[in-house]
Amino acid sequence: MRMSVPLRRLRQAPRHLLVCEKSHARHARSRHAAHVRDHAYNCRVSFLIPECGTLPEVLKSTIADVGEYYLLRNLSLHELVTHEFIDTFVKKGSCHALTYNTKIDQDNTAALLPTGKLILSVDKDTYEELGLQGRPSQYSGKKVMRYIITIDLMDPSFHPDSKKHKRVLWALKEKKPLEFDFLLAWCNTGAEGSTLMSYFPKNQIQTLKPKITFSTLRDLQCPVLQSNELQGKPEESCSTEELFEWLGAVLNQVSLDNKSFSFLSTYCCPQPNTIVEQAFLCTITGFIIPEAIIQLLEKLCCYFDEPKLAHWLTLTVHGFADSPVSWRESEHGFHKGGENLYNFVVFRNLDYWLQMAVGTNDDCPP
Amino acid sequence: MVRFKNRYVLCEVVSEDPRCRQCIEDRAVGLAVREAIARAHGDYGLACCSVSFTVKYLNAYTGTVLLRCRKDFYRLLCSALPFVRQLESRNQRYPCFFNTLHVGGTIRTCQKFLIQYNRRQLLTLLQNCTNEEERRSIRQSVLSCSLTEEQSQSGDEEDDDDTETD
Amino acid sequence: MARADPPPPPPAAFERRVLRSAAEHHYLRVRLELPDGGARPSAAQFKQLVVTALRELHGEVGAALPVDVLTYEEKTLSAILRVTSSGLVKLWSALTLLGFYQNRRCAFRVLQTSPFLLALSGNSRELVLD
Repeated sequence: MRMSVPLRRLRQAPRHLLVCEKSHARHARSRHAAHVRDHAYNCRVSFLIPECGTLPEVLKSTIADVGEYYLLRNLSLHELVTHEFIDTFVKKGSCHALTYNTKIDQDNTAALLPTGKLILSVDKDTYEELGLQGRPSQYSGKKVMRYIITIDLMDPSFHPDSKKHKRVLWALKEKKPLEFDFLLAWCNTGAEGSTLMSYFPKNQIQTLKPKITFSTLRDLQCPVLQSNELQGKPEESCSTEELFEWLGAVLNQVSLDNKSFSFLSTYCCPQPNTIVEQAFLCTITGFIIPEAIIQLLEKLCCYFDEPKLAHWLTLTVHGFADSPVSWRESEHGFHKGGENLYNFVVFRNLDYWLQMAVGTNDDCPP
Repeated sequence: MVRFKNRYVLCEVVSEDPRCRQCIEDRAVGLAVREAIARAHGDYGLACCSVSFTVKYLNAYTGTVLLRCRKDFYRLLCSALPFVRQLESRNQRYPCFFNTLHVGGTIRTCQKFLIQYNRRQLLTLLQNCTNEEERRSIRQSVLSCSLTEEQSQSGDEEDDDDTETD
Repeated sequence: MARADPPPPPPAAFERRVLRSAAEHHYLRVRLELPDGGARPSAAQFKQLVVTALRELHGEVGAALPVDVLTYEEKTLSAILRVTSSGLVKLWSALTLLGFYQNRRCAFRVLQTSPFLLALSGNSRELVLD
């Protein structure tokens, strides 16, 4: 029988998507690196290696190489579109910038993609005051209250004397000056150049190191996985959804051995599972650029070069809930939660599973 | 203007104690039903059902009760009715239960159903009779019942016949 | 992981599955706010409080919702709850409207919700830089 609208709403959960892929890491057409590269803003990376007591040196140095990032306080947005900045940073490497402590569902937000696109997500009033061309946000509803402005800084027509450049500069400098705290990361491709530290005034910029924590989990129940069975097989292996939930439980320190009659919680590790004596968990928190994650993923694949006890390992990457984009330039918003995250499960034979999850105000991941 | 759609729930009060009849009155029935909704569906359910909730008609003699509530929430009402366990009035309490007979969109359809239902009930009673005396009295009732139907009875609601039978 | 290894299967072929709003459960990270001093609820009392909140607003039907307290920290009074997706709105509303714990005023703050438990382990809104 059909349920009435109010009662149906009472049972409705917000829309969300989970995309699961499987492929082989050494496959010529495997898109795993592209998926990582397309996800520009990452706030936390964690990896879990079962049957591993101490981290191999290679991985240790890779983690240490996860670059530092910068926090720029009270930066006027027009400084990012000046030609000096574009020539020294945007065109010479990949420059990532994201506003810090701005909430995309209520504040103005800006992000500079490594492709040189500056994306502003602004409310209606700011949009009208700025007078720059944009488009209504996809998730703004019938009455548009949020607009997206995209400015391509690498566009050849965006040279210093062009009308377009002057207009943008004037809008951001005089018409409606916008000021944000920015998270910045810059990775240049070999060429020497000035650094962000010397470019911006000392009292404005601050260097930050990613926070790294290690822990060893004892007697961990791990689900049994088969790389070619995404959906799992009853009695033989677990499905990707089960693994995804289990990994969440491990990362949140949820107890895995509850009984079905337990009052507090009935969650338990999916079947079938094995008990692993120890598992190594490492978490890196900060403003992490995709290049570093690709490096780390590569090194994690190399972990299986030597024979290891572990059948698989996982790498989880959390995106920023308040970034205006998730993958590539697909718009991202905050509805009940701004989740955009992905997780790799790398198997011993270098098959991998990739799980990409997004919340309500998001496009389907690539 | 959009009309608010209601649902009418026709039910009968069943009790082993004949004295329960004196409890079948607007206030007591309404209170008992509300209490059941509050217990089963909480404050939210009670508030939902309370919109336009009334005891529209009741017949203490036959134990028939007609309840009204908004169409959106009649499922809450119907699911709570089995949890009514007693009626209370004037400090007297009698155990009883509600038997849902029909859910209709208008009072008219409920009335039609009730007449048909009662007629069917009489026939079953007739079949179950043991002596001539009983049989005669029931036959008389059947006749009187069909007589009432011939008198034209206009429905007191709009001619909307969207019925829903569970 | 001590099982005998089967012969290595061939490299996995590409496969993609898209699961639309298929999550069985939703997760909430909540914090209970109590006035200073006085007893702090134990894990079982905390769960009981959640069930009481559900019973108040949604009756016995609501109280029967399967809710799991996945983690609970008595010191900070924060917890992760799991609920079937169809019960998310009921649980959230019940927590919001709860006002008393043992005759003392209290309030539930819902800090984060997600259909993915993994998402609760990294909340960029709580990213604190020194």
